Amino acid sequence: MAELFEKILVPVASREDASATAAALAGHEAGDIVAVHVIEKAGGAIDKAGVEQRELEAEEIFDDFREALGRPIETKITYGTDVAEAIFDVAHDVGASSIVITPRGGSRWIRLLTGDVALSLVTESDLPVVVLPDQTQEGPTDEEAIEDE
Amino acid sequence: MSSGDEELAKDLGPLAALTIGVGTMIGAGIFVLPGAAVETAGSLAVAAFVVGGAIALLTALSASELGTAMPKSGGAYFYVNHALGPLFGSIAGWANWLGLAFASAFYMVGFGEYIQLIIGVSGAISLGPVSLNVATIIGLVGAAFFVGVNYVGAKETGALQNVIVIILVAILAVFTFIGGLQADISNLPANEGLPNMLTATGFIFVSYLGFVQITSVAEEIKEPGKNLPRAVIGSVVLVTGIYALVLFVMSGAVEPGFIAGIGGDDIAVVEVADILMGPVGAVAMLFGGLLATASSANASILASSRINFAMGRDEIVSPDLNEVHPRFATPYKSIAITGGLILAFILGADLIGGDAILTLSGTASFLHLVIYGLLNIALIVMRVADPAEYKPDFRVPLYPITPIIGAITSFALIYYIDPLVVGFGSLIVGGAVLWYVFYARTRTTKQGILSEYILDRSEEMPEPAVSAAASVQPDGGEYKVMVPLANPEHETDLITLASAIAKQRNGTVEAIHVVTVPDQTSLQYGADHIDDLDTESGNLLQRAREDAETFGVDLETSTIISHESFEEIFDAARDHAADLVVMGWGEDSHGSPGRAESAMDEVMQDIPCDFLVLKDRGFDPSKILLPTAGGPDSDLSAEMAKVLAAEYDSEITLLHVGDTEAEAQDFLELWADEHGLDDAELRAATGDVEEAIEDAARESTMVVIGATERGLLERLVSGSLVLDVAADVECSVLLAEQARKRSLWQRIFG
Repeated sequence: MAELFEKILVPVASREDASATAAALAGHEAGDIVAVHVIEKAGGAIDKAGVEQRELEAEEIFDDFREALGRPIETKITYGTDVAEAIFDVAHDVGASSIVITPRGGSRWIRLLTGDVALSLVTESDLPVVVLPDQTQEGPTDEEAIEDE
Repeated sequence: MSSGDEELAKDLGPLAALTIGVGTMIGAGIFVLPGAAVETAGSLAVAAFVVGGAIALLTALSASELGTAMPKSGGAYFYVNHALGPLFGSIAGWANWLGLAFASAFYMVGFGEYIQLIIGVSGAISLGPVSLNVATIIGLVGAAFFVGVNYVGAKETGALQNVIVIILVAILAVFTFIGGLQADISNLPANEGLPNMLTATGFIFVSYLGFVQITSVAEEIKEPGKNLPRAVIGSVVLVTGIYALVLFVMSGAVEPGFIAGIGGDDIAVVEVADILMGPVGAVAMLFGGLLATASSANASILASSRINFAMGRDEIVSPDLNEVHPRFATPYKSIAITGGLILAFILGADLIGGDAILTLSGTASFLHLVIYGLLNIALIVMRVADPAEYKPDFRVPLYPITPIIGAITSFALIYYIDPLVVGFGSLIVGGAVLWYVFYARTRTTKQGILSEYILDRSEEMPEPAVSAAASVQPDGGEYKVMVPLANPEHETDLITLASAIAKQRNGTVEAIHVVTVPDQTSLQYGADHIDDLDTESGNLLQRAREDAETFGVDLETSTIISHESFEEIFDAARDHAADLVVMGWGEDSHGSPGRAESAMDEVMQDIPCDFLVLKDRGFDPSKILLPTAGGPDSDLSAEMAKVLAAEYDSEITLLHVGDTEAEAQDFLELWADEHGLDDAELRAATGDVEEAIEDAARESTMVVIGATERGLLERLVSGSLVLDVAADVECSVLLAEQARKRSLWQRIFG
């Protein structure tokens, strides 16, 4: 486990995601933490939001994450049409020992609209992916949540 | 972040950038307006479109230069705000945002007309108390759909946009080719004359709005220096050519009078295509019209969120609008509001009656013409002011003729737009001005290149221009205390005083180190050799920062190089929109007494903000003596004494010298009450004013005194003021002079 957490890459998609992931990480000893935010590109069409706007948003997300963790982290903004792929690229660039995610809930509809990044991360990764349960969500206990998945 | 990553952010290639422009423009005019254009201008309908294209091209050149110099989110709004300042920025921002909403409403009503033709239902349907056209209802549904798509940010691939535009161009190419074979000059309708042609140009100008949208996504374009001008100029040239050919075919390939005879619910291009190519042609045109209006609306909704973002970043509108949706990563608030506006405009245009299409397109055209005119002016300002960071890769040919004609023709075309529409559009522009004055001015902090340029040259520029520039400056709403630093010895005391005031007022401190160079040395030389001339600036400002930090006050720093340092302080106070200047007075301070008196007189006429001048003999505000003879400057000294008392718990003693002690006592009681200094100790005195002050000062640690007469600063600096008090007392003396409050009207007309 220690080796797995030597240098973790933590994708953070939103401010809520940042605080949920930070809460999930509490109690796990990690070496270096690299937070990554992927700015999804349309790949040749107008993006859904401006790049500068999302870069500013990314800094806010990092600030929230840093504050919630209460420790220094490395941060990285990356761009790509495929969010999971962009995360893998960064993971290799920074030499991460694992990718740590906290999938947030959401209805089928939401997942359909936003694309299920968590699923792609788990199924397409060539690095260990650690899925931490979301402590901030009400509902089933950890065990039940895992059974549900 | 490495530059490699930055490159990944730029994924719009040359074709994609071009198709954004073409896609946004082509949907609008050509599928909806040719019928009306031919009816209005007759054989000159082609010319109406070409003239519109020519006006657009002039602005496209300016937009290209500005875009390559500043590839930022927000496009036209950003350039105007940057060059002309937030007043015009507010106009351009609102015009651009609402212009896009009106354009989107227009596209959607056009979309509604196409659908209506396909499903074969027309006329009006009454819904409760109101009756709406079928096209309007379909337009509302369509608009809600596209707003919804952008709200959740469903993923659009780059290929789709390209495919749509290529299909559209192909449909129109086939149409013009087949139509061209059958065209006959003798079919052309009568020439309706120049004024009618320009009227047609006025309402078809909505067909040329798209190119500016390319600049609003400039930050996403690969190699913007090369691809942005190509896309902007290329798209205008391409669509102008297409429009001209289509219009020629429409009026030349069918019998005269055919277009005029088309019924209200039919669409001219579709009818003409039906005649030329049969039902296949009509279906292709219907399909094209749907694609075109939809892609135009979609691109406009996206572009408007960029403008919102840029406006929010500059605090012209609330930055809350820019919140990004946690799930969808879209600027959902901004899109929802824009969507609401689009729906309201579609509904409103139908309810007020008349031709909804022309009302919406006219308003969109008007607002964009205002922006285009301002864009051309912004370009001229950037060229004249030529700030160091302005390095466009593309430069407008034949400058300054091109942007001047661009600005004039853009504004002139407004004359040919329906007066009612112009009136309504002018209300929007007027609203934007009021918005700036009452909302944005106290929030935004960004100053335009234009006012910087004018204020930096306040000596050479005509007085009304300087006053106007100073009057409309943004003040950011924050209380700003500026501290010019010269003598390192007094740095701590001045910063302490300034920070204490800033802290009480929730403001910020701006420390400025003024480096004086001899008159023989050019300022440019000074700037280039700043490190040699000025070895202490870094240390001085660093210490200032540390001192301010103890108060938890934000401190900004800058260094100014000047020949005459005092004047420079005035300029800086004006430039930085300072509310208060706190400065030292002594041997080594700014502008030794006696220097440049005549120049000073002029400058001092209108001090830009409140001034506090500290004769520093150690900073200790525990026992403050406040001599007063009434008057506005003593108001400021009372205010400052209260601020210091609030911060340091100081004891305040008020002193007034009257003819009799009783009279002085009465005056003090009244004055203390008026100024909220009821807790202060009152000291009534008679006899010699200076002696009385000196006496009282022996028991104090600081004297705060207002300039009882106008021009204290003036005489202080020129050396003619013999304020013996300041020289003779043993404690520190704080001299206060209040800015004269003059109205905007007085400042300009004076």
